[in-house]
Amino acid sequence: MPKHALTAFALTLSVVVPTAALAEWKPNRPVEFVAAAGPGGGTDTFARVVQSALSKNELLTTPIIVSNKSGGSGAETFIYAKSNKGDPYKLYFGTQDAYVLPLANKLSYSQKDLTPVAAMVFDPFILWVNPKTSGIEDVKGFIAKAKENPGQLKLGGAKAKEADETLMTLIEHKTGVDLTYIPYKSGSEAAIQVAGGHITANVNNPSESVEQWKAGVQKPLCVFESERLADKTVIADGMSWNDVPTCVEAGIDVKTFAQPRTIWAAADIPPEALAYYTELFTKAAGTPEFKGYQERGAQIPRLLTGDAFKDFIKQHEATYAEIYKANGWLRAEQ
Amino acid sequence: MGNFGQLMDGFAVALTAHHVMIMAVGVLLGLVVGVLPGLGAPNGVSLLLPLTFTMDPISAIILLTSMYWGALFGGSTTSILFNIPGEPSSVATTFDGYPLARQGQAVRALTLAFTSAGIGALTGVIVITLLSSWVANFAMRFGAAEYFAVYFMAFASFIGMAGGSPFKTLVSMMLGFAAATVGIDTISGESRLTFEIDELIGGISFLIAVIGLFGLGELLLTMEEGLKFEGVKAKLDMRTILRTVAEVPRYWVTLVRSALIGCWMGITPGGPTAASFMSYALGRRFSRRGRNFGKGEPEGIVAPETADHSAGSCALLPMLALGIPGSATAAVMMGGLMIWGLSPGPMLFSTRPDFVWGLIASMYMGNLIAVVLVLATVPLFAYILRAPFTVVGPMITIVCVIGAYTVANHVFDIWLALAFGIVGYVFKKLDYPLAPFVLAMVLGDKAEDAFRQAMLTSDGSPAIFFSNALVSTMMGLGILLLCLPLITVLFKGGLFGRPAAGDAEAHGRSA
Amino acid sequence: MDISRNTMEIATACATALVGGIVCYGASLNGISWNESGPQPGYFPFYIGALIIFGSAATILQTVLRRASTSDVFIDGERLRTIVAFFLPIVVMVAISAWLGLYIGMALYTFYAMRMAAGFRTATSLLTAAIVVAVNFVIFEKIFMVPLLKGPILEYFGIY
Repeated sequence: MPKHALTAFALTLSVVVPTAALAEWKPNRPVEFVAAAGPGGGTDTFARVVQSALSKNELLTTPIIVSNKSGGSGAETFIYAKSNKGDPYKLYFGTQDAYVLPLANKLSYSQKDLTPVAAMVFDPFILWVNPKTSGIEDVKGFIAKAKENPGQLKLGGAKAKEADETLMTLIEHKTGVDLTYIPYKSGSEAAIQVAGGHITANVNNPSESVEQWKAGVQKPLCVFESERLADKTVIADGMSWNDVPTCVEAGIDVKTFAQPRTIWAAADIPPEALAYYTELFTKAAGTPEFKGYQERGAQIPRLLTGDAFKDFIKQHEATYAEIYKANGWLRAEQ
Repeated sequence: MGNFGQLMDGFAVALTAHHVMIMAVGVLLGLVVGVLPGLGAPNGVSLLLPLTFTMDPISAIILLTSMYWGALFGGSTTSILFNIPGEPSSVATTFDGYPLARQGQAVRALTLAFTSAGIGALTGVIVITLLSSWVANFAMRFGAAEYFAVYFMAFASFIGMAGGSPFKTLVSMMLGFAAATVGIDTISGESRLTFEIDELIGGISFLIAVIGLFGLGELLLTMEEGLKFEGVKAKLDMRTILRTVAEVPRYWVTLVRSALIGCWMGITPGGPTAASFMSYALGRRFSRRGRNFGKGEPEGIVAPETADHSAGSCALLPMLALGIPGSATAAVMMGGLMIWGLSPGPMLFSTRPDFVWGLIASMYMGNLIAVVLVLATVPLFAYILRAPFTVVGPMITIVCVIGAYTVANHVFDIWLALAFGIVGYVFKKLDYPLAPFVLAMVLGDKAEDAFRQAMLTSDGSPAIFFSNALVSTMMGLGILLLCLPLITVLFKGGLFGRPAAGDAEAHGRSA
Repeated sequence: MDISRNTMEIATACATALVGGIVCYGASLNGISWNESGPQPGYFPFYIGALIIFGSAATILQTVLRRASTSDVFIDGERLRTIVAFFLPIVVMVAISAWLGLYIGMALYTFYAMRMAAGFRTATSLLTAAIVVAVNFVIFEKIFMVPLLKGPILEYFGIY
């Protein structure tokens, strides 16, 4: 097989001598990063930041091509992974969507078609309002207003029956209020609708609303984490991310609802390749480019690979399945 | 005037030799991307993105925006010469550009398109320069109901336009809506019309439909008519180009109208494609030469091109000021901004004035460079037209096939494009208008999303579409535009009364 | 073997009506009513499908009622052969491309079009095919880094 010959050839060329015995695999042709989101979306930015971190620090010397397959809320990406079984030159970038999408929709791929590689970072969720148009200043005010007008308070988010809407149903369960969810194409779009006073509140990642916060048209009420965010740099109104209370402190009993930024490979890739990528992305997480991305997004630095990542997936999927079941969103079993 | 001073600072940033060179490279790459139908401006810009990681943000955004201008210009070239829109937003340019080129006036058609496009782009940039802070606040006032009203106006202006059988127009438009529906529904998260076929879950790409309906469909028609490509007579001399440039100011009414429509659609979420259609439709209705539209009328090229480019420029403003991209390309650039460490949003203007005003200044320069470079390519394209069709035909076929593949790297898409090719051929021969199909496909799902979001916001009450002055005015105008042709038709003697043969002639196979 | 315009009108209208029917059926799977929070996912698609059927039916009616143009020919045998002779090789090219990759598909197609359809000499045709492949390879793989479909043969020779 000429493939082996080429691999050997590439190995002799390689400057960095891999230390671990397993890491003797090295890509000898362009690697494709498939993002399960459209250009400009959160997952797309994630994939491109990793791309820039790898190529700027020369961690990966073969060309990296980023492509987008956002169809079907990203399902297109994972269906594509299924059709490229065993191909170690394609990696798939997503969130929890990789294992949550098949819960609600009848799709032709399942988790068996994917090899988990890494969860590189977690995006926290924050509850936002426009303090000027809504008159809401804190979580207590939010809950009071929602109780006054059951079903009248509009909360926006990205897409339907995904992270944002799931989180809203959690808020409803824990506080006993009745909200109306309005799906938009993206989290930033929902943020602008809140800023413009068209809807009352939204839930999204910090980076999607931080500029509106600085402009005074949005205010963070609480963060859906068990601990406050670490960053103490003042952003607006004399507040830093660290000054935003956790939702448990503020009165919504939702402990942690972070969104992992995940990387996958197709099923049945060589174990050497998996080991190589695991090491590669561990290194990438330490680069200044990636650290800068984490800081800007007020993300939670938490790298998961190997068995730790697999355990996390199992547990995270079960959490989602439970909420989906309660909401009646689980797809009918065939 | 603060903006003016800042613009001057911006020019100081943009006008270095390094940046001018970047602009030229960007425009040239953009032209190539624009000419290839599958690789649109959004793809092109995202392909260049990795190159910008090592650049400073100002050089990076200048490279990307220059590529965008180049792609917008390049898209019109293939629309006019081969009836293949290289970009979605240049579909409307085919309606008169291609007929004019077939009359042997390809050079004139191209020059008209490029000159008016340049004027449109400059208008857009001037609007950005003067109104940047106001526009940001204005765009905030757009909720779901207002979004819907914008789309409604675009439909309404177009609906009465198509001649021929009203039933065929209806079928064509509804097929467009149906095609736009395929895929996962934003509002409910359910998959619609996919019938559990994997390839359909991502929806049907608009580009695939356009490559098939226009590109391959036209090839089949040309083939049937006997291998003739009448661009052959295209005369090529500098004087034609200069004379045409001098001719453009004569269409000043159309220019002003189209530029206004373009700026409006760029600032509001309509986008360049809808802008070019709306401008074409309104041009056809309100211009004195409106009855010649579809037969190679110069104003029919000027109208969509001006609107397309002014909308393309204006669409960058909501991206910079609010972080909502006004077009697909703007979405990619916004991703770039975040990677370079900048956050698009209301504060960008005060935190990084050098970046914002450097960009705006580069838009003036980039468009000027684009017009000059693209006019320089006219002789090259005129030369291609001289080759016999037996050679050009297969080449266009290959371009279409690769284009269909590169849209999403699906082989299935190529088959789909071939199917659309047959549909395009049959529909054209039977005088089904294609424009309503295209418009419905571009705006259909967006309009539906906005409508249903508005309904959710208002708890199902349609009163939301008349709840404030802004949305009421837009809906009112839309209804007026919708009724205008109906009233005219009723006065002229009913739907069935008209002889279809006359219509077919009037609308023309050429459209 | 002429096909009359009327036949084609009716055949096309039947095809569009069939599409309308499929759309209606697909929409009915998503729920087609209008509930308190606005229309259900299938509401608009259902009426879109219904309007397609209506428009198609009206077109059939118009064609049947307007007998004057019965003699119009949609396409005559000779032209039909021209069209098929042009379209069939494209279909073959796509089939080959899907199997062996786009570069091999376009090379064979260019050679065929030059040699058989346009009647150039074999050497000229081969050269053209080589140029077409080379130009596309440089534009897509090198300049824009868009990998086109390669297929097993190119992969075997180490071109990815």
